[in-house]
Amino acid sequence: MHGIDWVDVGLSVLKIAIVLGAMLNVTPIMVWVERRGSALIQDRPGPNRVGPFGLFQSFADAFKFVLKEDMLPAKANKILYTIAPMFGLIPALTTIAVVPWGRPFALPGGRLFEPIIANVNIGILLIFALASMGVYGIVMAGWASANKYSLFGGIRASAQMISYELALTLAAVSVLLAAGSLSLTDVVWRQTGSFVLFNVIKLPAWNIFSPSMWMAFIVFFVSGFAETNRMPFDFAEADAELVAGYHTEYSSMKFALFFMSEYMAMATMSALVTTLFLGGWDIPWYTEPATWIGFALSVLSFVTKVSIILFIFVWVRWTIPRLKYDLLMKLGWKVFLPMAVVNVVIVALFIARGWL
Amino acid sequence: MIPTHWFLILSAILFTIGVCGVLTRKNGITIFMCIELMVNAVNLTFVAYARQFHQLHGLLFVFFVMAIAAAEAAVGLAIFISLFHHRHTIDVDEANLMRW
Amino acid sequence: MITFAIFFFFAAIAVIFAATVVLHRNPVVGALSLVASFFALAVMYVLLEAPFLAALQVIVYAGAIMVLFLFVIMLLNLQHQEEPRTRPVQQFLGYTSSAAFGLALIYYLAKFGVTQLPDGPFVSDARTVGIRMFEAYIFPFEMVSILLLAAIVGALLLSGRTGAMGVAPLSSSTTTENLAAPHDETPHIEVAP
Repeated sequence: MHGIDWVDVGLSVLKIAIVLGAMLNVTPIMVWVERRGSALIQDRPGPNRVGPFGLFQSFADAFKFVLKEDMLPAKANKILYTIAPMFGLIPALTTIAVVPWGRPFALPGGRLFEPIIANVNIGILLIFALASMGVYGIVMAGWASANKYSLFGGIRASAQMISYELALTLAAVSVLLAAGSLSLTDVVWRQTGSFVLFNVIKLPAWNIFSPSMWMAFIVFFVSGFAETNRMPFDFAEADAELVAGYHTEYSSMKFALFFMSEYMAMATMSALVTTLFLGGWDIPWYTEPATWIGFALSVLSFVTKVSIILFIFVWVRWTIPRLKYDLLMKLGWKVFLPMAVVNVVIVALFIARGWL
Repeated sequence: MIPTHWFLILSAILFTIGVCGVLTRKNGITIFMCIELMVNAVNLTFVAYARQFHQLHGLLFVFFVMAIAAAEAAVGLAIFISLFHHRHTIDVDEANLMRW
Repeated sequence: MITFAIFFFFAAIAVIFAATVVLHRNPVVGALSLVASFFALAVMYVLLEAPFLAALQVIVYAGAIMVLFLFVIMLLNLQHQEEPRTRPVQQFLGYTSSAAFGLALIYYLAKFGVTQLPDGPFVSDARTVGIRMFEAYIFPFEMVSILLLAAIVGALLLSGRTGAMGVAPLSSSTTTENLAAPHDETPHIEVAP
């Protein structure tokens, strides 16, 4: 077929392979970080039998998941029970397609290599659209398990997710308003460079240091915890209260899918926080050259920032207790939503006065 | 480029399926879902004509239709829940008196 | 060439899942099929060069309205309420009249519909739509926001919890034992689009 640019197709396949490989490997690494990190915080050794420092613990876990019996409760709705875990993977694996993870650089043939799988100009809207699909997995899992604790866990978790989606969306709108575009590449390009604060310190021009968007950062970051059902918002899997919430009745690979999708959603949310507020692939106080060295350094910078945020996810989980459910909903609707709206107004004010 | 009248025919098929559902089913929620299907078929017609004549009015109308359909879904489901509490049945033929 | 393949594939998906909504007994399966149908319609919007609207369709319809439908179906436990069979007279009349209507519509659309292709690309990104909305359509925009506020207040009043707005519920025989809801005092969970 003429007219198809095969080099372009090959580069896209390479990008998809890299990102997919990274996302699929996040889960074993995060499992190890979680278990050793929690052990560090709780002053105990953690897994240290399987390999040096317990590094092969994830392999042992994966083995266990594969070998366990895969059951189906008698009264469960078979089709919905089986496809529910797959819906959890949709937001985790597809939203990473619009996040830029490195600096675009010129390949030897003169072609520009853009390290983003889908550079559409409505990037952030796709993220919101696909994040709403994650609610279906939880609702279906809770309902198809034919267990009233699962149903309660599922309904509560999905109500929490849709409430915090609003605050998340509005916090991101402040950033988009400042960047003037819905595309995440433009958001990151706007955060390169630096500015001088109070004529004293030279700070990188990241959105977290901007006087108009730090409130949006707090709202977005905390709502990210709620969206991925992590502590202190993990009512869906509240261990002491709802047995295991919406995935009580799941075992073996279906549970492994839920488990993986939670860690992948965490990684995607960290990538989003990094891109919107921490400057994405930008290296602070340094302008990368547009060569492959600059590209490699920018990818390293991106991965470092995402890792720091992921470690903060683990850190918060083992430090802060779980919020009571009605307080959680009050926080989402009565505190974060007004904060996000006020921040949009503040950013609009800054733009109108020309300070941004 | 796909001819516009193909989109119009697809929209007509979806609208017909929605009409069929509203006329044939007795479950209130299913009738509501078929109404949403009809609204979406009409949205598709609006967008098809918007592309044909390069007018943005079609897109903006779809925007408002979506917002209104969301409001309608919220209020309609609240009405349906009230109805269900009174009659303890989902059959819309049972809602046949004008008083509670 | 490949756009035609995409069009036929997703048109088939939209039609098949729409038919499932109408024909299947279980409302949960109907709701999920409708979600699939809305996704296929979002792809249609992308083919019609309106990607902003495609993303909005998924966010509003498939991501918010259908979640609301699923909540209502699951909380009221409607799957166990077997819908009584429609009377054969009503079924026959319903199917034949809608088939006649549909065939007439398709015939006239195929005969008199617009057949020439549009000239040139269609600029419909977020910036253009936004500028038009806030310049020409600002009044409907504000009215729709007031309408959404009215819908929220109305839904809160109709849902029947005492003291939700400081007034007695509109339906006087509301019993809470029909709802599979927790007993603690949780605030209302409203899906605002």
